[in-house]
Amino acid sequence: MAGGMMLLQAAADTAGAYRDFPLIGSRAAIWIAAEIHLMFAAFVLGVPIFAVVAEAIGIFGKDQRYDRLSKEFTRLLLIAYSATAIWGAVFVFLLSTLYPKFWAYMTAIFGVSMWVYVSIFFFESFTLYLYYYGWDRWKYGRAKIGHWCLGILLNVWGTIVMFIADSWLTYMMTPPRDITPETSPTSIKLWHAILNHTWMPINIHRLIGNIVFGGAIVGAYASYRFLAARTEEERAHYDWMGYVGNFIAMSALIVLPFAGYWLGREIYQYDQSMGITMMGGFMSWLWVIQAFLIAVLFLAGNYYLWVGMGRIPGAERFRPYTKWLLVVLVLGALVWGTPHTMIADSRELAAMGGSHHPLLGALGVMSAKNTAVNLMILSTFLSFLLYRRANIRQVVPWAKTGTRIQAGMFVIAAAIVLFFGIRGYFVEAIVRIGYSVYQVGAVLACIIFVTIIDVLMARGAQSLGAIQWGRMPPRSQYALFILAVTFTWLMGLMGFARSGIRQHWHVWQVMQDMTPYAATPALGYAAIMISTCVLIFLSLVGFIFWLGGLAEKSTFVPSTVEAPHVGQ
Amino acid sequence: MWANNLRIIAVVLGTLALYTLIANKIPQVQSEVPHALTLGANVTPEQLTAAGDQLYHGAGGCTACHGLGTRAPNLLTDEKGLGPIGARCGKRETGKDCKAYLYESLTSPRAFVVPGYEPIMPEMGRILSPQQIWALVAFLESQGGTLDVTASDIPATPAAVGGGSGGSGSSGGIAGGSTDPMTIIRGAGCTGCHKVGSEGGAIGPNLTHVGSRLSASLIRECILKPDTRVSKGYEKFVGIMPKIFGNQLTGAQLEALVQFLASRK
Repeated sequence: MAGGMMLLQAAADTAGAYRDFPLIGSRAAIWIAAEIHLMFAAFVLGVPIFAVVAEAIGIFGKDQRYDRLSKEFTRLLLIAYSATAIWGAVFVFLLSTLYPKFWAYMTAIFGVSMWVYVSIFFFESFTLYLYYYGWDRWKYGRAKIGHWCLGILLNVWGTIVMFIADSWLTYMMTPPRDITPETSPTSIKLWHAILNHTWMPINIHRLIGNIVFGGAIVGAYASYRFLAARTEEERAHYDWMGYVGNFIAMSALIVLPFAGYWLGREIYQYDQSMGITMMGGFMSWLWVIQAFLIAVLFLAGNYYLWVGMGRIPGAERFRPYTKWLLVVLVLGALVWGTPHTMIADSRELAAMGGSHHPLLGALGVMSAKNTAVNLMILSTFLSFLLYRRANIRQVVPWAKTGTRIQAGMFVIAAAIVLFFGIRGYFVEAIVRIGYSVYQVGAVLACIIFVTIIDVLMARGAQSLGAIQWGRMPPRSQYALFILAVTFTWLMGLMGFARSGIRQHWHVWQVMQDMTPYAATPALGYAAIMISTCVLIFLSLVGFIFWLGGLAEKSTFVPSTVEAPHVGQ
Repeated sequence: MWANNLRIIAVVLGTLALYTLIANKIPQVQSEVPHALTLGANVTPEQLTAAGDQLYHGAGGCTACHGLGTRAPNLLTDEKGLGPIGARCGKRETGKDCKAYLYESLTSPRAFVVPGYEPIMPEMGRILSPQQIWALVAFLESQGGTLDVTASDIPATPAAVGGGSGGSGSSGGIAGGSTDPMTIIRGAGCTGCHKVGSEGGAIGPNLTHVGSRLSASLIRECILKPDTRVSKGYEKFVGIMPKIFGNQLTGAQLEALVQFLASRK
C-alpha cells in the first residue's frame, strides 16, 4: 500500500515535468544544442584573447602583420557570435520546453544572474561591433591604444559571461552541501549557489581551454588557406599564421592539465564517491580514450614543430634530438593510457589475474600517470625551445653557462617529477594527490625560468638565416587539422565526463532526473553524439570561414621584414 | 582546390571515425538508475537478498570500490582471514551486531572506518531509499553470515539510524533519545573520527578541550553545518562529517551535547 502511494506520488511529481523530443529524444536534443553552443562559445571567447594579444604584438612590436591577423579573426568573430547566440537560444528553448520543472528550479535560484548574463552579452556584442568597425578609424596613436582597450573590454565581458554560465552548470554538479531535496530553491541565496566547490576550477579550466581551442581553430583556418594559396607570399603568410595558432594552442595546452588537476581535486574534496565514479567507476575507460586523444595532440603538435624545423636554417643541429623526444612522448602516452582499475566481471578479473594487471597495473596508477604527463609536457617545451633557438647563435658571453643552467633546470625538474612519482607508490592516496602539486610546480618553474634565461640569452643573437615561411610540406598542414578536430572532440568528451558524473541527477543528490533517459550512457553512444556535434560544428565553422573569405579579401599583405618567432 | 577540400574532409571524417570506433570497441558500461523498490509487508528475506544482490552489482555502484582489494574492504570474499562480510560484520564495532553495523556503514559510513582504509564511502542514504538500504544489508548479511533482516525492519528505518545497537531504539533521536552527552557521542558515532578524553579516533579535530577553542554557539553550528567552519589542518577532510545530526538529534540532545562540549576547557 505504502509502495503504491509512493508510486502515485512519484507520478504526480513528474507529471508535466518533462516533454519528449521527436525521433532522437530529449536528452540527445539537449546534448546537441548545448554542445554546439558551447563549442561556438569557446570559439568566441578564445579568439578574442588571441586577437587582443596579436593586436598588442602589432602595436608594441610595430609589426603590422599581427594587427592584420587580429583583424582577420575579429571579422570571423562577427559571424561566429551570431551562431553562438542562435545555438544558445535553441538550447534555452529546448531546455525550457523539454525540462520545464528543472528549468523552473534553476531560474528560481539563478534568475537574477540570468538577467545580468543577458545584459552583459548585449554589452559584449556591441563592444565587438565597435572593436571591428572602429579598426580602421582608430588606427594610430592614442586612438589605437583606445581600440586595443576595447579588445580587452571585449574579453572582460566575455569572461564575466562565461563565469556566470559556469555557476549554473557547476551548481548542478556540486551544489553546496547544506542544500537538500527538501530545500526550496527560492530560499537559496544566489551567491551561495554560485560559490560552489567547482565554480572557480571550471572557470580557470575553461579560460585556458578556450585559448587552446581558439589557437587550434586559427591553426586550422591558416592551414586551409595555406593549402589553397596560389602564391608563395600567400603561402608564407598562412604558414606563419598556422605556426602562431599552433604555438598559442600548444602553449596553453601545456598548462591545461594543471587546471584539470585542480578541478579533479575539488571534485574529490566535494564528494569522494563522485571522484571515484569519474576515475574508477563506470567512466574509467573514458580516461583511456582521453589519454589517446592527448597523445595525438602532443604527437601532432610536436610533429608540426619538427617538420617546421625543416624551413629554419641551423635547425639541423637539433634534429638528432627529436627522435629521443619522440621516444619520451610515446612512452609517456603509453603509460598515461594504461588502465588501472576497471569495472570488470568475475570472468574478466580471473582472466586478468586480479583487479589489476600483474605487470601493467603498476603503470596505471596516478603516480605513474602524473609522472608521464609531466615528462611529456617537459619534452614538448624542449621541442619549442629547440625550435625557438634553431636559427640563432647566442652571442652573450654567458651563453654556454646559461645553456648549462637551462639543462640543469630540465634535469632537476625531471628528477623531482620522477622522485615524487616513485615515492607516490609508498604513501596514502591523500598524500599522493598532494605530490602532483610538487610535480606540477617543478615543471612550471622549469618552463618559466628556462624561458626567462632563453629570452635574455637571445639578446643580440646572430641570425643563421631567415625562416623560409611557406616551405612546409602539405602533410604538416593536415597535422593542424587533426589538432583542431582532436581538440574539439576532446572538449566534447570532457564535457560528457563533467556532466556524466552527475549520473541520474539533474542537480547532484538534490534533484533527480526522472526521464527515461536518466541513465548515463556508455562511451560508445557518447562518442557517436560527440562526433555528430563536432561534425555539425566544424561544418558551420567551415561555412563561416568561407563566408569570411567571401565578404572580404584576405588581409594578407606581403611583408618586407623577416617574420620573427613568437616571443622574440 | 576541390582536391584539397576533399582531402581536408577525408582527414576530418577519418579522425572522427577513428575516435568513434575506438570508443565503441572498449567495454560499454552504462550508469544505471537505481530502480525504486516496492517491497510489501510480506517480503521474504530471500527477496530482499535478491534485490540487494542486484543493487550491489549494479546501480548501487558498490563494485567500483569493494572487491578491488585496495580502495575498500572486500565484502564478498575473504578480508585478511576474517571471512566475507557476513561472517565478520558482528565483530567490527563493540556493542553493534551485524545488522546494526551494516546499516550504520551504509548510512553513516564515517562513524566507523575500517583501519587501513580512508573515509571515502558515500552516505548511501542520500542516494538509495530505505528499502534499498535494507535490501543491501540483507544481501551483505547473506555473505557468510546469518540473515536476520525482515520486513519489519523497513518501516523501522528512522529508529534504526540511531539505533545504537541491534538496530533497536526509539524514534526520539540518537541513542534512544538519551540526553547523556557521552551516550549521544558514542551512539552518534562521533568517536569514529573525534577523540573525546581517552576515546576516539584522530580523523577529525580532538574534542577533549574543544570548549577552550569554540563557544557554545560555534559548537552548535559545527554540529549542524559541519563544513561552514573548518579547523586548521583538517581542510582535506571537508565534507566527511555527516550533516544528518540536525535531523537525528532531538533539541534536548543537541543542547546537552553542546553544553557538554563547551564545558570541556
